[in-house]
Amino acid sequence: MGFQLPVAGSEVALAWFRRYYENAEFDIPSIEQREFGIGNRKKIDSRHLNFSGTAEFRSYLVSNTPLFVSFSTGYYRYPGATPMQKKAWMGADLVFDLDIHAEGKYGAYALLGKVKADAIRLMDMLKDDFGISGKDIHVNFSGNRGYHIHVRDRSYLGIGSDERKEIVDYIMGIGLDYRAFFEPDAKRPNDRMERGPRPDECGYRGRFSRAVIAELVNNPKSISRVFAKDDTRKRLIDGIKAGNWNSQPFKVNDFISRLAPIAAKLGLSSVNTDAGVTQDLSKLIRVPESLHGDTGLIAKKVSDIDKFDPFRDAMIKLPGARESLKVKFVEDVPELPLGGELVGPFKKDEQKEFEKPIALFYVLKGSAEIKE
Amino acid sequence: MEDLDFAVRYPFSSQAKAALDSSATQLNESIMFMGSERIKRGLKGESGKSAALHESDKINEIASFAAARMLLAFLNNRFITNKFAVAESKRVSSYLDSERDGATIAKVGQELGFVSEKEGDSYLVPIPIYLSFSPRALPYKLINREVRNGRVVVSPHERVRLMEEAVRKRLERVPLLKDPPKIISDAGKKLVSELPKSDLPQVQVKPGDYPPCIIKLLDSVKKHENLNHQARWFLCVYLMATGMNDEEIIGLYSNLPDFSERITTYQVQHARKKAYTAPACATITTWGFCCADCRIGSPIYWRGKGSGGRG
Repeated sequence: MGFQLPVAGSEVALAWFRRYYENAEFDIPSIEQREFGIGNRKKIDSRHLNFSGTAEFRSYLVSNTPLFVSFSTGYYRYPGATPMQKKAWMGADLVFDLDIHAEGKYGAYALLGKVKADAIRLMDMLKDDFGISGKDIHVNFSGNRGYHIHVRDRSYLGIGSDERKEIVDYIMGIGLDYRAFFEPDAKRPNDRMERGPRPDECGYRGRFSRAVIAELVNNPKSISRVFAKDDTRKRLIDGIKAGNWNSQPFKVNDFISRLAPIAAKLGLSSVNTDAGVTQDLSKLIRVPESLHGDTGLIAKKVSDIDKFDPFRDAMIKLPGARESLKVKFVEDVPELPLGGELVGPFKKDEQKEFEKPIALFYVLKGSAEIKE
Repeated sequence: MEDLDFAVRYPFSSQAKAALDSSATQLNESIMFMGSERIKRGLKGESGKSAALHESDKINEIASFAAARMLLAFLNNRFITNKFAVAESKRVSSYLDSERDGATIAKVGQELGFVSEKEGDSYLVPIPIYLSFSPRALPYKLINREVRNGRVVVSPHERVRLMEEAVRKRLERVPLLKDPPKIISDAGKKLVSELPKSDLPQVQVKPGDYPPCIIKLLDSVKKHENLNHQARWFLCVYLMATGMNDEEIIGLYSNLPDFSERITTYQVQHARKKAYTAPACATITTWGFCCADCRIGSPIYWRGKGSGGRG
């Protein structure tokens, strides 16, 4: 958190958070084996907490309401023990943190759609390539700039940090050698390819093949002007479908090089690797259905991601949410789609009245202060 | 295959343990001697096959493996343990290569927690198992593999290579031995006194300020963990750029469990002659060695925080 919340704002926000936690619906598998951390000044001020069940967790949140609450992706025999080695690690969910960075405090919100598209692609990869069942993939909004994906497939729980790094590389497309997808013809290696990837193949081979066909259909000139002609293009596409990439006029190396930009876009760019969420076996991450202290939005579990709109679906809906609160802006704020409608823009020193969740959103962002 | 032959070839197996239990073999000086010799062969990088003919020889040979493991536990020296693990895993690998019976290979796999399923001429290995046992080399990188519904397609040769890695990893873990029996501590002390000093290298790296990726590789060397070819090459050309001489670099690499002086000397001298420059960060990321976000373009531009900011 980049600023210190003014006392008045903090009191109103925490009272509001407390009311939310009284009835929030938590569903944390093996809660008694998880470590928890809470934060007010930072996202995590203190960790090594543990709870015997949801009731104890809730009662803690109601009596010591924090701005942030996180839990371990790892499962421990003694989650409250310190130092870490004494916790006796038993395994960890495979977790991905997808988010986006952009200019300014509000820049990332306009790009949330891209993060959502990546989340959908990641879920497809987890199912198709990694063989993980949909029921073991849990998605939640992070409460601010992205999505968290928790994979709870038993066969992945025990893998180490290095192995998780390989999975991140796979998902991000790092180290992809797409040239190896093509087998040169033994007799005429410069002119012909024995075999290339088919669109119906699994993993990156199929993904690459499908992306090339899509490019040929949507933007053929980006590969070469010759594919602007319908019959030339069609002949190549039909060939690729059968693994034959020879229906084009170029030398093998030249043609393969022309496909490099397509290969470079196959991975997901919004997997956040800075914080090592996936690799770190003792990482703490926001509790799904808890509140994000920088926004007051719920880290909402997402059941139908296509229809999910964070600024509508992750807003607190409590009796009293309609009560209005007066704020004064301390900086300029752009227009935002809050609560299902466009709100703003606002200028510094402007005073406005909003329903509570929206008012607190601006206060927690540090863009406004509460007017008594 | 006879159970006893299986146990000789795969002495880490439960079959081997059962053979020892039922023969009621006791640790004696002769077996401790065989165990010490087995460790010494490992240190030399030798992984000879068994020459045991009679049942009692076979039992003794299995016992020598158990004795070697106890000695390693007593010595608690990561370098010796890892050298032993490499040699023994190569021995297992050469046996697996010669196995004609698929069921035997599958049985070894089972002992190692390695499962695979035959499909045509290939094998399908579940991704978590593949990731746990695949060498960290570019052709084995998951992204470049044929991946199908949670399983990786591997050739019969690659399957053996993965099992070799599984053996190595298992043998690198040695339980702590508290209060060892006198026969083990005596043999252990004798073994150490017999080892030429040059067999037990010390890591000597000039104190300096290194970027995180180099520190990570140096840490691996210090822990006597194997590095793949790209990692060795990268570390070598980087250290050359910092002014380390060939002898110092070869000395450093002698920490690696599969060190061969001849090959290392050739490669270090070759790199020197070619005057390679260190690869860019983008390449290092592709190879999977990048572990921080320094944004310096190339590791040679690293200026540590101690000497006034990075880049």
